[in-house]
Amino acid sequence: MFRVVALSKSFGALQAVQDLYLDVPANSVTSIIGPNGAGKSTVFNLISGALTPDSGAIMFQDLDITGYPPYVINRLGVARSFQITNIFFGLTVLENLRLATQSSEPRRQFLRPLRRFRRPQQRASQLVAEFGLADRAEEIAGNLSHGDQRRLEIAICMASAPILLLLDEPTQGMSPTETMETDELIKSLKRQVAILLIEHDIDLVMGVSDNVIVMHQGRKLAEGPPDEIRRNATVQDAYLGRADADT
Amino acid sequence: MANWVGYLHLVVVPQAIDGLIIGLALALVALGLTMIFGLLGVINLAHGELYMLGAYAAFSLTAVGIGFWGALFVAPLIVGAVGGALERFGLRRLGARHDYAILSILLTFGASLILRDLVQFAWGPETHQVEAPIAGIVRAAGMILPAYRMLILGIAALLIVGTWLLLYRSPLGAVLRAAAYDRQMVASLGIPVSAVLTGTFVFGSLLAGTSGVLLSPIYAVFPTMGHDFMLLAFAAVIVGGMGSVSGAVLASILLAEVQSIASLWISPVWAESMVFVVMFLVLVFRPQGLYGRLGAA
Amino acid sequence: MTKLAQNVVVKGVIRAGGLLPSALCRARKMLSMPRGGLQAASLTRIMGLIAVAAAVVLPLLVGQFYIRLGIEALLLGGLALSTGILLGFVGLLSLGQVAYFGVGAYISALLFLQATGSFWLVLAAVVICVSALAAVIGAIVIRTRGVYFALISLAFSEVLHKIAFNTVALGGSDGILGIPAPRIGFAGIGQIDLRDDGQFYYFALGVIVVIYFAIRRILATPFGSVLSAIRDNPERVPYLGYNPFWFRLLAYVAAAQVAAVSGMVFPLLRGYVSPDLLSFETTTRSLAMALVGGLSSVLGPLVGGGVITFMDSLVSSLTERHLLVLGLIFVIFVMTCPDGLIGIAARRLTRRERK
Repeated sequence: MFRVVALSKSFGALQAVQDLYLDVPANSVTSIIGPNGAGKSTVFNLISGALTPDSGAIMFQDLDITGYPPYVINRLGVARSFQITNIFFGLTVLENLRLATQSSEPRRQFLRPLRRFRRPQQRASQLVAEFGLADRAEEIAGNLSHGDQRRLEIAICMASAPILLLLDEPTQGMSPTETMETDELIKSLKRQVAILLIEHDIDLVMGVSDNVIVMHQGRKLAEGPPDEIRRNATVQDAYLGRADADT
Repeated sequence: MANWVGYLHLVVVPQAIDGLIIGLALALVALGLTMIFGLLGVINLAHGELYMLGAYAAFSLTAVGIGFWGALFVAPLIVGAVGGALERFGLRRLGARHDYAILSILLTFGASLILRDLVQFAWGPETHQVEAPIAGIVRAAGMILPAYRMLILGIAALLIVGTWLLLYRSPLGAVLRAAAYDRQMVASLGIPVSAVLTGTFVFGSLLAGTSGVLLSPIYAVFPTMGHDFMLLAFAAVIVGGMGSVSGAVLASILLAEVQSIASLWISPVWAESMVFVVMFLVLVFRPQGLYGRLGAA
Repeated sequence: MTKLAQNVVVKGVIRAGGLLPSALCRARKMLSMPRGGLQAASLTRIMGLIAVAAAVVLPLLVGQFYIRLGIEALLLGGLALSTGILLGFVGLLSLGQVAYFGVGAYISALLFLQATGSFWLVLAAVVICVSALAAVIGAIVIRTRGVYFALISLAFSEVLHKIAFNTVALGGSDGILGIPAPRIGFAGIGQIDLRDDGQFYYFALGVIVVIYFAIRRILATPFGSVLSAIRDNPERVPYLGYNPFWFRLLAYVAAAQVAAVSGMVFPLLRGYVSPDLLSFETTTRSLAMALVGGLSSVLGPLVGGGVITFMDSLVSSLTERHLLVLGLIFVIFVMTCPDGLIGIAARRLTRRERK
């Protein structure tokens, strides 16, 4: 469903991503883990259209989307969340979501009065309820708690009805309770979309993933189901060992 | 054939040299602008007026008998002080707001109006003259070049090289460049960032004032001189790339040359407009300027 | 007041009064602006109504000089509005909307002088020309954004100023004189004779009111909501599936139209157009209007238009230093109340409502 072939990107002398291969099947969770600077965010930037790769191809449903701009990639069905919360802080929760749901409407309708746009509005209200933000629907997004904002971030992504969801460190800054909620959220979302996940929380990753990819210095170090990765000596040396020491 | 070469030799090349001279003087202004933008994130719409202030200061200082060389030293200091005041009591007071970029533009805009009108009030709307410190000509390679303009060439070049050395070869320059990149980081190293910012603004104003002094014998001194020159300087900064030092210098020379050479064949008024056409063209093909990164804007 | 003036005033009041109920109706149906929800919406409506009422009543109270000043205030307010909406709702600071104001003025001048007496034809010509021009220029400059955009727009207006100043065919530094004030026919309803100051005033008011409601209407559409998203967080917008370029471009062209239509009417007031209309001084005044009135509202620049025009007139009669005063106002407003008078009023009214 989604494939990345021989993807490479360098910034001057820094080889951020080298010869990366990825394969994400539908309705699954693939996680990318690795130490900081391993190139994980760069991969997301390449997939979502923020950056153009130096070489390689990104195939989404047999369509080559390499080098497409972000708004095209989104409309094709790839949604991306951000590591640093990137919602519309000055607008209400409902408006945030309505903007996202509205995007799939034909552009020629865009100069009709807002009140006639029922479908996006209803879908937005639905999402607000689904993501447990119903009681804060009219609240300005900037006033939400961090955890709620992270949830809104994901809700905005789901609002465009994506086929592939890119989650960039969704539990960033979350409390253990919120992390658990996110864990369950991802599991429930798995039924609707394919998920590519970047995370630092190893427990979450192990619990939720079908496939784990370990990156190190721009290259894929290892790949496999969670248990296999956990037992992989090379991975432990490069990454997990250090993480264990921290916890 | 000989006529053609002769034309090149005796008309075009001197004009090109003239363009280089103006370009370097323009570069002083553009340099200050781009440094202020790079470090403070401010588009200083009052920069042209600071240039103007330098010229007026030169006029008054020479009028009271201090002499051109004295004025060249003192006037920039005065302008630097005015610039510093603008930053310290104006821009700094705005604080850190999300619409700082817009408000700072508007604030410097207001400051430019005040400066321009104060100058007009103090010195009157008529044009004043400043005497060049040296007269006469210099002969080089069969060409006749005004001596004073060659002097400007020398002084401006010196200042530009000096600025470059300051920015790229001195510890202070390293601090400045670091602050332009990441202000918080520099602050956390214990360096007084506010002093750095004010200092940058003062330095930029100083350069602009110097340019004003240098060009005053050529362009004369009148209240709207800053406005006209500022547009050129901004064009240079845009073409060179906001925040880029080498870009500002190169673009200044480039645009001044365009105007200079073009005015050989079309009237000077339209030659000025040519500069903006060049700017537009650069923007079409390279919106971030020659050296800039669009994200920085 | 003369019989004629009374006649005009009564007709004007009836026409303006006719505008009000439909305006009220439309206002009620309109959705609130994104900021602050319903409260802000009703506040804006109240302030808008007060402003319109004041504008309607003005000519009844003052003499010809002030009526003409009022017309100037309205039209320059339109120019300020053009700047204000680009800044407040798209996040683009344009220092050169005066370019389109001037283009509208010159096209209007040339056509009325040499080609036609039909207002509607000239309007069509202006709209078409400015749409084309703004689309081309916009496509180039919008990609630059932010800081660059401000300077390029300034350069653009300065270039046009130079062209107007130096082109003999456009009248050079003297401009174009002797432009006849047309009579505007509204099929079936009647005619407005722009040679009459009172009728001109209400006509200008009508134009501005129509523009105002058109903008409010456009902002209350999905298009408008994307604009507010672009203003709030431009980085995120493409990831929602929107190409910000087209949205910005359309807004840019719309803003250019606002300036152009205001500019189109301007020369008819005194019968001439000069390059001064494209000068930096005009830009300065329009910027002051937008700032003083309030940058983030549609009403703000219009209110600012009135304030600055009348203040400028007052100051000019007292001292030559009106540029200094303008500069001081600029600085004071930027540092103390950048939301402008509308912002202050909104805050006062909100406080009172809470009590």
